[in-house]
Amino acid sequence: MSQPKETTNLARELRSTTRKLFLFTGAWLASTALLTFGPRIWWGYDVLATGIAIGVNLFAGAMMLFAFFRHLKSMDELQRQTHLEAMALTLGITMILTVIYGSLPTVQLLTESPPANILFVMGITYPLTVISLWLSRTSE
Amino acid sequence: MKNRLKVLRAERDWTQADLACQLDVTRQTVNAIEKGKYDPSLPLAFKIADVFQLSIEQIFAPLKDD
Repeated sequence: MSQPKETTNLARELRSTTRKLFLFTGAWLASTALLTFGPRIWWGYDVLATGIAIGVNLFAGAMMLFAFFRHLKSMDELQRQTHLEAMALTLGITMILTVIYGSLPTVQLLTESPPANILFVMGITYPLTVISLWLSRTSE
Repeated sequence: MKNRLKVLRAERDWTQADLACQLDVTRQTVNAIEKGKYDPSLPLAFKIADVFQLSIEQIFAPLKDD
């Protein structure tokens, strides 16, 4: 009656969408590196080449987003709900911390607060909330 | 919502993995439903009813404070 987990539609579909997500995230990272370092290292700040690099980066970003949606849709409903709730929590936590972080130079606790640092907050908060929500629901 | 999933599964001598395979969900999802930590969507509830050849009302019942 029972089949190995690897043969279920869910597992097969998840494996396929995870592979595509990994691929497009890699492409986006590579195109981001190209956009960041390319003008200085390879094409001497040529406007056309930089414009093309921006276009490639936008395309790779769109493909990564599309792959992420496909990945979300391939999950079972508890996995999907967990990820959506983690995204909501991440958005809220990031918003609260961004306001505090942004005000630190004003209150002279920091000399500057580069907005890119907010990505680290999101990058840490999202997996942590996914793991804690998943464990709280599925612990034996 | 309370449910009789664990009893019905035991009557058929199915493991959580067996049921999860038939429902195309993870074993953890079956476990969360059995423990009342997660209420399934309507499509999944219909699928569960179909697997057990019962009506939804014979498997799921509202808690008093639902």
